[in-house]
Amino acid sequence: MVKHLAFVFALLAAPVHADVADVVADHILPGYAAFAQATADLDRQAAASCTADTLRPAFQTAFDAWMAVQHLHLGPVEEAGRGLAIAFWPDPKGLGRKAQLGLMQGDPAKLTPEAFADQSVAARGLTGLERLLYPTTPWPADPCPLIRATTADLARLADEVQGGWTSGFADQLLTAGAQGNTRYLSKAEARQALFTVLVTGLAQLHDQRLGRPMGTFDRPTPERAEARASGRSLRNVLLSLQALRALATSLTEPAPQTQAALGHAIALAQNLDDPVFAGIATPTGRLKVEVLQQAVEQARQAALAEIGPALGVGIGFNALDGD
Amino acid sequence: MATRRAFLSGLAALALPKPGWAAVGSPHCLAAGKTAERYVLHGLSADGHSLFAIDLPGRGHAAAAHPHRPLAVAFARRPGTFAIVLDCMTGAEQYQLTPPAGRQFNGHGVFSADGRVLYTSEVIAETSQGRIGIWEAEDFQRVGEWSSGGIGPHDLKRQADGGLIVANGGIATDPADRSKLNIATMRPNLTRLSPAGEITAQAELPPALWQNSIRHLALAPDGTVAFAMQWEGDPAEPVPLLGLWQIGTPPQLCPPPEAEAFRMQGYAGSVAISGSGQIALTSPRGGVVMIHAQNGAHLATHARADVCGVTALGSGFLLSDGSGALWSLEDQQLSPLTVGDTHWDNHIVPLA
Repeated sequence: MVKHLAFVFALLAAPVHADVADVVADHILPGYAAFAQATADLDRQAAASCTADTLRPAFQTAFDAWMAVQHLHLGPVEEAGRGLAIAFWPDPKGLGRKAQLGLMQGDPAKLTPEAFADQSVAARGLTGLERLLYPTTPWPADPCPLIRATTADLARLADEVQGGWTSGFADQLLTAGAQGNTRYLSKAEARQALFTVLVTGLAQLHDQRLGRPMGTFDRPTPERAEARASGRSLRNVLLSLQALRALATSLTEPAPQTQAALGHAIALAQNLDDPVFAGIATPTGRLKVEVLQQAVEQARQAALAEIGPALGVGIGFNALDGD
Repeated sequence: MATRRAFLSGLAALALPKPGWAAVGSPHCLAAGKTAERYVLHGLSADGHSLFAIDLPGRGHAAAAHPHRPLAVAFARRPGTFAIVLDCMTGAEQYQLTPPAGRQFNGHGVFSADGRVLYTSEVIAETSQGRIGIWEAEDFQRVGEWSSGGIGPHDLKRQADGGLIVANGGIATDPADRSKLNIATMRPNLTRLSPAGEITAQAELPPALWQNSIRHLALAPDGTVAFAMQWEGDPAEPVPLLGLWQIGTPPQLCPPPEAEAFRMQGYAGSVAISGSGQIALTSPRGGVVMIHAQNGAHLATHARADVCGVTALGSGFLLSDGSGALWSLEDQQLSPLTVGDTHWDNHIVPLA
């Protein structure tokens, strides 16, 4: 016992600084646990009733929970297409709706959990569910069986991702550099993996969530905004920024320039009264989203200039250099 | 003072007019990289150890290895106006190659089987029209050039019969800053040149894939060409990044399963074929290497950040990454061979 306490005190005496362990304990594991909980709740409610009005609040909660972790492009979510199956966006060719039409009018055996897990990633997950709960064009058949198949699949995926982290992948990150860990050969590699998540998360916000509806000045494309039907386009940007700020805080402290830049972008998103970016079609509305987009890019630049050197890592030597 | 070692090596020099790669430890392959602020070309053993290291004047790219003599050609980054011929025994820069006025090197080169000729992928700087530069490999003088059969040629490989396969990437670039000028209208192709430089076969992708730049190549012993692509279109579209070309037939595309379709992020950096016929396709952007069977079917995806260089190693592969590790991939097992402080560049060049 005494020995045990001494060990605890030795840990407490170590210099306090944010790092990989903090990200895993404070950001990643709680985030995936909350997402698993929210999707399980959604599935339970769908089993009880699958009217759209009843399910929408639980859908919104589950999507909120996903936005807290969706930037984590590493580990279990990257395997077996889980991340794509949880949220397939963008879908410029409308593959998701086409596949859902086929499922709705086809063999019901495809909706069993085992069979549904093998259906197109475009048809499943939160984006698939959004089309069922917030239809922009009427469906030709009762969507209820597909809604239930989708919520069950989503809960399974969330459970698998959480399980993948708690039963192995978190340890791989935390024991980076240890003998036998061939996933992360040094502690720096684990830091670099999380730093890459932060920087590419900001780039994706800029290029996709904001960039796609922006289109060009001559041809703005607000109809391409993410989660438009459920009114979440701006909310997803805001939640994603907040999640990336939480990641940055757990990863490196202090990082005043990055925190200031992220805080600025978050404030802009909070004050932007344009929930599905419809304003992009007008010059004034477009300018406001463009200012937000620039703030996201400034946050990315700040992270590259400040957090990378603080962690002693950069973005990949080859990844950045096209050839 | 004449040491025993110098005497012996002098004797060896008398007996052998031209030393071979054995004189520098018989490397398995060459790889360029960056160590601290130095750019270096290494000769690597099959177990991933450096046999020699030569300083480069800048970030080196895609060295071509002479088939017999320990000579390596390193190209400047694109748009390149020089290449250097390095003596791998002494580390000395033996020759500097400068393309004719108005031409630029475009990244890759390959020697003829007898080592007498070096072929280089080049563009006419103003138009990006492709050329294959021809250099005699004794004094490295320019002796001629051929059309590459397309815009923006990048990789080129030599066939067993002396013909060349060229990846005309289709991208026209600004001669000064390498910015891409024709993404909307690009139209890449694969071209086969006879040993005399005549275009004997060409293949194009379906029009929906014209924005898929064909950039890197690997040749199988049976003549099949594996080609790796980089998607310039909408990143939301999942497109195949590997293709197989049996000359004389339309290219066959080899997409991974839907669930894996975005893992390479539209970018294949290198391609290689193993002794067992498997194909490895790397993506430093996606941090993955995909393994395909000889018939093109996807077999496995392995995650490794910034992995790019790849060459055959027995029935498997030798891979390099930007973090300093060299890996073997054998029986679906990715295992580190060596870990060091050299950030490995895009390609590993086998000695053939």
